[in-house]
Amino acid sequence: MAQILVVDDSSTVRDEVATFLRGGGLDVVTAVDGRDGLAKLKADPSIKLVVADVNMPNMDGLTMVEKIRGELRNTSVNLIMLTTESSPNMKERGKAAGVKGWIVKPFKGPAVLETFKKLAS
Amino acid sequence: MNDTPISKVLVLEDNATCANLVKHFCEENNLVAVKVGKRPLMSVLRTNIDLGGIFVSERYGGSERDAARIAAEIHAARPELPIFLRREAGATLADLPEELKHVFCCAYTANDLGALRKAIREHIFCLVYPNALVRGISELTDSVLKRQFPDLTIAMDAPYIVGDRMIFGELFSLIQLESDWCRGYMMLQSEEDPLLDFIARTRASRTTPSFRGVNDLLGETTNLIWGAFKNRYIGDRRANALRQPVQVPLLVNHKHKYVSFGTDNPQLCFRFTLTDTETGDSLTLYERFVFNLDWSPDEFHEIAQDPSGASDAGELELF
Repeated sequence: MAQILVVDDSSTVRDEVATFLRGGGLDVVTAVDGRDGLAKLKADPSIKLVVADVNMPNMDGLTMVEKIRGELRNTSVNLIMLTTESSPNMKERGKAAGVKGWIVKPFKGPAVLETFKKLAS
Repeated sequence: MNDTPISKVLVLEDNATCANLVKHFCEENNLVAVKVGKRPLMSVLRTNIDLGGIFVSERYGGSERDAARIAAEIHAARPELPIFLRREAGATLADLPEELKHVFCCAYTANDLGALRKAIREHIFCLVYPNALVRGISELTDSVLKRQFPDLTIAMDAPYIVGDRMIFGELFSLIQLESDWCRGYMMLQSEEDPLLDFIARTRASRTTPSFRGVNDLLGETTNLIWGAFKNRYIGDRRANALRQPVQVPLLVNHKHKYVSFGTDNPQLCFRFTLTDTETGDSLTLYERFVFNLDWSPDEFHEIAQDPSGASDAGELELF
């Protein structure tokens, strides 16, 4: 049973983020795009935190987030976007969909580990 | 760093006085002269795949016939490269045989370089790139490469304009750039082996390097550069909604290592050399910007960063 779901189409990013978080004592699963992320979240209700990219094929991260809150009716999981995007409009869309936080890549693990632990507990 | 792009031109000139003249002309007009020396010409062409044009004199190789044959061969091999012909009697192509007229884009004489200057502007520097854009691309790419390739020193050549359509190395990434002032693509080109070596050295404990790992590394590097470019120069501005966004086919010919974006427009190129100072191993990355669908530099501007909610890259901004 995982605590964190990392969603990114780049295996480099999935590997980097998941490895770091596991090193910090967290249980992590990964998904390759928004569609896969939805499926993984649906299959494992123990996930407390989703860390997701925005620009992904098949289903982008913000659409996934909107479906988590909408179709899956999951209002409890915490959502953090990890993305190259920094536009205010995009952040507003994320906020409206219930995203809790935003990180513009690159990922700096030590800066966020404690917060991620709290959000995943 | 010089923000004004240069361009590399192959100079085929046997006359020492004129060679000197061309050398000075190049220095004054943001051109870098590449000479053949003692190497076979086609060998030089094969190793210089990022040229902006060719200068040839009408008696290069010993006679007008030799020069014509050489120019025709170059034009057949690299038709995207404009060839500028230095003539003795007059700056005209009108008296050339019909089969040669299309080989050259202009004629000039040593006594009057005005025609050459005009032709350079028309055929090499025909797109104006704002200095702020050129400088900004250099900065953001350098920043991304430092992050993606830690422990390697990064050297960047002066930004330059390329007419060639040749592909460097074995792999390249492509990503669209869409805004109301530019539409086109960014392309990163590289060789597989140096990237595999890099992955093996830095991630050996976690992954067995394969070409998929190389794909991923190049893909994420492309994504980060593209994201930084979007955040700095595009933001929420999108291609004009009133226009139907057009597309043209892109063509890749693997056999000839050739990629076409459907336009003769020259491309803005940045060349990075990343070196491991301990081993001396290096890898080369070419970054090209191809604004094949729309280019409106008058509309270019940098996005003002919002100071109120801003966070540095990597930091978590909580809502």
